[in-house]
Amino acid sequence: MTVKDAAKPSNKRKQSTDNDASEAPAIAVTNLEMWSDEENGEDVASDDGEVDEFPEIDTRSDSEAEVLEASEEEEYSEEEEVDDEDQDEDEDESSDADSLHVFPKAKTIISNITGQPKRVYPEIEPEYDSDSSTEDAPNRVGNVPMHWYDDLPHIGYDIDGKKVYRPAKADELDKFLSTVEDPSSWISAFDKNAQTDKPLTTEELDIIRRLYAGENPDASYDPYAPTIEWFTGKGKEEVMPLSAAPEPKRRWVPSKWEKQKVMKIVRAIRQGRIIGSKPKSTSKFSFYSIWSEPSSANPPPLPAPKPRLPTNSESYNPPEEYLPTEKERKEWEAQDSEDRERDYLPQKYSALRLVPAYDNFIKERFNRQLDLYLAPRVQRVKLNIDPSTLIPKLPSPSSLRPFPNYKSLKFTHTKGRARCVSVSPDGGWVISGDESGKVSLWEVNVGREVKSWNFDSKIGALDWCPRLDVSYFVVTVEEKIHFVIPPNLPGPVLSLTQALLAPATLPPAPATPSPVKWVTPATSTWSTDTPILTAHLPGSSGLPTQVAWHRRGDYVATVSTGRSQGGVWIHQVTRRHSQAPFKKIKGAVQLVLFHPLKPHFFVATQQYVRVYNLSEQKLLKTLIPGIKWISSMDVHPSGDHLIVGGYDRKLCWFDLELSDKPYKIMRYHTRAIRSLHFHPSYPLFASSSDDGAIQIFHSRVYNDLMTDPLIVPLKILRGHEIRDGLGVLQVKWCSRQPWLVSGGADGTVAVWCS
Amino acid sequence: MARLKQKGKAGAAKAYITRSAAIKKLQCSLADFRRLCILKGIFPREPRSRKKANKGSSAPTSFYYAKDIAYLAHEPVLRKLREHKAFAKKLSRALGRGEWSSAKSLEDNKPVYRLDHIIKERYPTFIDAIRDIDDALCMVSLFASLPSNSRLPPELIENCTRLSAEWQLYVMHSRSLRKCFLSIKGVYYQAEVMDQTVTWLVPYQFTQNIPPEVDVRVMLTFLELYQTLLGFVFFKLYTDAGLVYPPPLDLKKDQGGAGVGAFSLQDTTRASGPAPAKITAVEVDVRKVSSKDVRQTIKHITAASGAAEADIEMDAPDASAEEVDEEFVVHPSRSDPQSSASLPTLKLLADLPQPLCTTLFAPYTFYLSRETSRPIFEFLVRSFGGRIGWPASSGSGSPFEESDDSITHVIIDRPLVEKPNETPEERERRLRRKHVQPQWVVDCINAGKILLEEHYAQGKTLPPHLSPFGEYQGAYDPTAADGAAIEDESESEVEEVEEDEEEIKDADNAALKSAAQAAVASEDPAALRAAELAAEAAGVDFSVFEKEVSKSRKLSKKATEVGVETAEQDMNKMMMSNKQRKLYEKMKYSQKKRESERATLEAKKRAIQKQNKRDGKTSSTG
Repeated sequence: MTVKDAAKPSNKRKQSTDNDASEAPAIAVTNLEMWSDEENGEDVASDDGEVDEFPEIDTRSDSEAEVLEASEEEEYSEEEEVDDEDQDEDEDESSDADSLHVFPKAKTIISNITGQPKRVYPEIEPEYDSDSSTEDAPNRVGNVPMHWYDDLPHIGYDIDGKKVYRPAKADELDKFLSTVEDPSSWISAFDKNAQTDKPLTTEELDIIRRLYAGENPDASYDPYAPTIEWFTGKGKEEVMPLSAAPEPKRRWVPSKWEKQKVMKIVRAIRQGRIIGSKPKSTSKFSFYSIWSEPSSANPPPLPAPKPRLPTNSESYNPPEEYLPTEKERKEWEAQDSEDRERDYLPQKYSALRLVPAYDNFIKERFNRQLDLYLAPRVQRVKLNIDPSTLIPKLPSPSSLRPFPNYKSLKFTHTKGRARCVSVSPDGGWVISGDESGKVSLWEVNVGREVKSWNFDSKIGALDWCPRLDVSYFVVTVEEKIHFVIPPNLPGPVLSLTQALLAPATLPPAPATPSPVKWVTPATSTWSTDTPILTAHLPGSSGLPTQVAWHRRGDYVATVSTGRSQGGVWIHQVTRRHSQAPFKKIKGAVQLVLFHPLKPHFFVATQQYVRVYNLSEQKLLKTLIPGIKWISSMDVHPSGDHLIVGGYDRKLCWFDLELSDKPYKIMRYHTRAIRSLHFHPSYPLFASSSDDGAIQIFHSRVYNDLMTDPLIVPLKILRGHEIRDGLGVLQVKWCSRQPWLVSGGADGTVAVWCS
Repeated sequence: MARLKQKGKAGAAKAYITRSAAIKKLQCSLADFRRLCILKGIFPREPRSRKKANKGSSAPTSFYYAKDIAYLAHEPVLRKLREHKAFAKKLSRALGRGEWSSAKSLEDNKPVYRLDHIIKERYPTFIDAIRDIDDALCMVSLFASLPSNSRLPPELIENCTRLSAEWQLYVMHSRSLRKCFLSIKGVYYQAEVMDQTVTWLVPYQFTQNIPPEVDVRVMLTFLELYQTLLGFVFFKLYTDAGLVYPPPLDLKKDQGGAGVGAFSLQDTTRASGPAPAKITAVEVDVRKVSSKDVRQTIKHITAASGAAEADIEMDAPDASAEEVDEEFVVHPSRSDPQSSASLPTLKLLADLPQPLCTTLFAPYTFYLSRETSRPIFEFLVRSFGGRIGWPASSGSGSPFEESDDSITHVIIDRPLVEKPNETPEERERRLRRKHVQPQWVVDCINAGKILLEEHYAQGKTLPPHLSPFGEYQGAYDPTAADGAAIEDESESEVEEVEEDEEEIKDADNAALKSAAQAAVASEDPAALRAAELAAEAAGVDFSVFEKEVSKSRKLSKKATEVGVETAEQDMNKMMMSNKQRKLYEKMKYSQKKRESERATLEAKKRAIQKQNKRDGKTSSTG
């Protein structure tokens, strides 16, 4: 059916083109319009006014029509061959007329059946290649349901109105046999109209094959046909206008509103309100006298530092001595480029023409620029002074004589380190104690041992009593303090000393029992070999490492290694009474000292020095030397100055009236400071250290507060050997001469004289 | 109660700003910030305490003065940079849409920034600008020698070439070149302009390659600034000198490779006159000297020095005789007739600051051999008033030919080669002219006088070329050390010889000496007495012995004194504060380093001299 429907418009158009070829464009337009406007086919037919009996055309959707049209336009020439057998006669006629171009004369006769006039064409003689469709099917019943004829002997009527009888129906067996025997049975199908099997035509078979293959059933359809452009492309623009409306006026009359707008701009340009863009010719920047106008008051930024000017070594032909040796060259090459002192190696060329390009030129320029914009600049004042002016100008040591400058004699302890030495208050005698427990007494001028005492354990400390009318000294060993009288004393002194240390009537025992026991051996056992008095410290108090006398010679303070109550005891010899001044003390006490004039008491813990007033029993001040571990301390005879030495090599000078902080900190020993001592009468002090050296200083202290104390290093005394990392363990001055006695770890005790 | 002080509201925290904070504040990219910093001359500062400046953080950052950044915030260049950013966006959009006409109009109206206000701001006075053009000149002369590529457009290179030529022209015109130094890096020139010394470095004429680690963008930004600066500076210099700026360029000559000669200096008064062709003729050689003039001058010179130019053989002994008492001979010239009078005191004069002699080469005419670098020597000779010509292979524009009779010196830098087929004319010409190596020109300039050509003759080993800029105070001086070292050595040698003789003569004399010394050292009168007796026994005169004793006494005293002094000083160092001690150590370190440097150089020199002497001896004997 579809094919048939499609055929109609094409035929009609074909006709029209044939008839009026001259009007072809107009017709084409109208035709186009017809399809697009969804008008009835009849109207168009009437427009044409040529074909009377045009078959009825269904109104169809636009798109369908177009598709069909497109499909059929390609093949309009062969339309007739595709036409079905069951066409209407009218159609048949028209199509025949179109395609064959042979018009057999039709006769008009009156139909027997209808009584109407009817055209009758002569019988067509089927030729050899004539279409099989022209073979007449006898049954002309039309497209009616065939079951209407089920009960009748005929199955319809032929063209002449005679009955067409039902053909004989084969039974099932015959059917089967025919499928076996008849080779064409499988390509035949039941024809409803003829009520019999009819072989399919080749076209029908082809259609079936195409359907099976999923192709387009129409064999003549070419899916790849070239597009024919009807409405687009060159010269086809106005072939089929969409509308026949006349061209509007606005198409060619200039716009009034546009004119108004343009005039507005023109007026603005005339009045100078709009200035055209500047011509781009002035890209060249021209220089002018920029410094003719006065500059701003702002100070100019600091100019960048200039690079260094080249020196002789950069010459292309330097003196030969500037050339690097092989070693220097290698060193330079091994260095990192940032560490190099010079960024080039001096080279020598015999002629200017041989000088090559410098390969780092751009790199150096770039580095300079990086310096200019990335490096922070600091203004630095260049010190143009002689470095020796930095050294403080001090009086020459030769003008500050006397001071000890050479070793006059040496006394040797064979068994152990000479831990402690002490010089008698009259300055004639020295006692020295070693670690084996031996205490020797010898004369300063001679250096020969007069007497020795042996104690059962290591000597912790020893010191002469500062009193001149009596003569004895204190020796501390493990948990004991011995009071010993030296031999060969003049009679009155000896008797006075004995009376002091072992009076006939013992002082009354203290009200509160003290843990310290004072013991005197019986008078009969007295000898110069044994101590006349012994104070037994309480158990586990350890070895007293320091003995400090009060200037009056009645009180003596000891510091023990055992840490009960800080290990500090103050003993009163006349009353045979000992007391621990501190119930509780912060830190481990290293040293104690009595103030030479006032009732003050210095206590050095590891890091601080505290000053107590003993009479008022309160803390006066805490000195902060900034030393990690205090090793030694001494107070100036005036009582206003204190020196503190530490194991971290520092020596701090405190002006007690000035501050809690040191007035001066010095670090000149290479190892820990072991001992310090102020000379009682001369302006001297000495420090000894584990580096084996003794440093003598001149230390003048002024009474007026405005003048700072003068400290002048005088002499470094060397002569003690270092044993096991220990050097000079203690130094003491002779009270009347500028002489120094020092005990070292090598077991020698030396006297240094001026 | 006083107001609470909040942290970070005053002091270093306010005064400094980190780089990232600055970028955030200015709302620009890092590249733009860098560009601004370069153009405006803003550089990072080092706060006294980094922690205080950076809110307690000690992370490594660079700090700027907050005020610097605040000033940057309303910098016209920054605004232009922002406009440029917008422009770039618009342009890329137009290009992406294919809107060519709008892209073109955008491109035409591209925002361009100007740097003149920055120049004025950074250099409020002209002197400030002159003081700071060293780097600019270095950069411009470097870029003038670079090949152009996609990153370095040819216009840029051309502009740099033009600027460096303009500067050279000005220096030549104003005769302000003072010093020159041929180094392994390039040629250093020093000029004195407006009482400011300007030193710049020009690389030798080779193609330079930009190494990959160099950021060309940074260099180009600097170059942008430097070009503007130099343009303004040159404008001022030229107009002050009554010249037209920019000097017109003769394109034809430039294409011929005339270099500096392609530019013509034009007086502002004459600029109105329509005679450009005439002007160019004038300026190729700044001073037009007729050959007759030159010949006369030469005659004058030769007459004064009392030597005939033609026969060098005769001249040679004379010159060597002069050489004995003086290092160089000054050729008296018309320009400074006093020089002959000052001859006897030359050595004294050498120590004084050299008088300016800007017309040093005025009486001479030079010719460059083709292997010498024309730009260098053309500049040098012309800035000291000389005339110079060159072969066509070194570029066009030579004012005279090689055959010109006025040529007095030929600057030649090739080994001496015998020419077998020499026409008598050529030979005559060769003998008449003095052939010198290029270093002679530079050494003459630095010495401020014409040096003897003998040492610099073609094919001779050149004397060392020393820096005219000098070294730090107390540095090793190769010229001074020369004489001293030789004297020292001779002295020591003499001593050695004497000692040898003495040893041979009387061995006991030495023994006596030692005895006396020992006696003095011990300071023991008995020992002294013993020594005296021994001397008497040996037959030595008493007075001699006395002298010996006093001498050794003095020596020992000196030694002990010095020892005591150093010991005292060492002791006094104990009393220095920590800060002072560190400063002292630092100064001592640098002193020692310099001394050791000097000592190594001197030692090397001595070793070389010894080697030379030995070589000379062996060669003479063998």
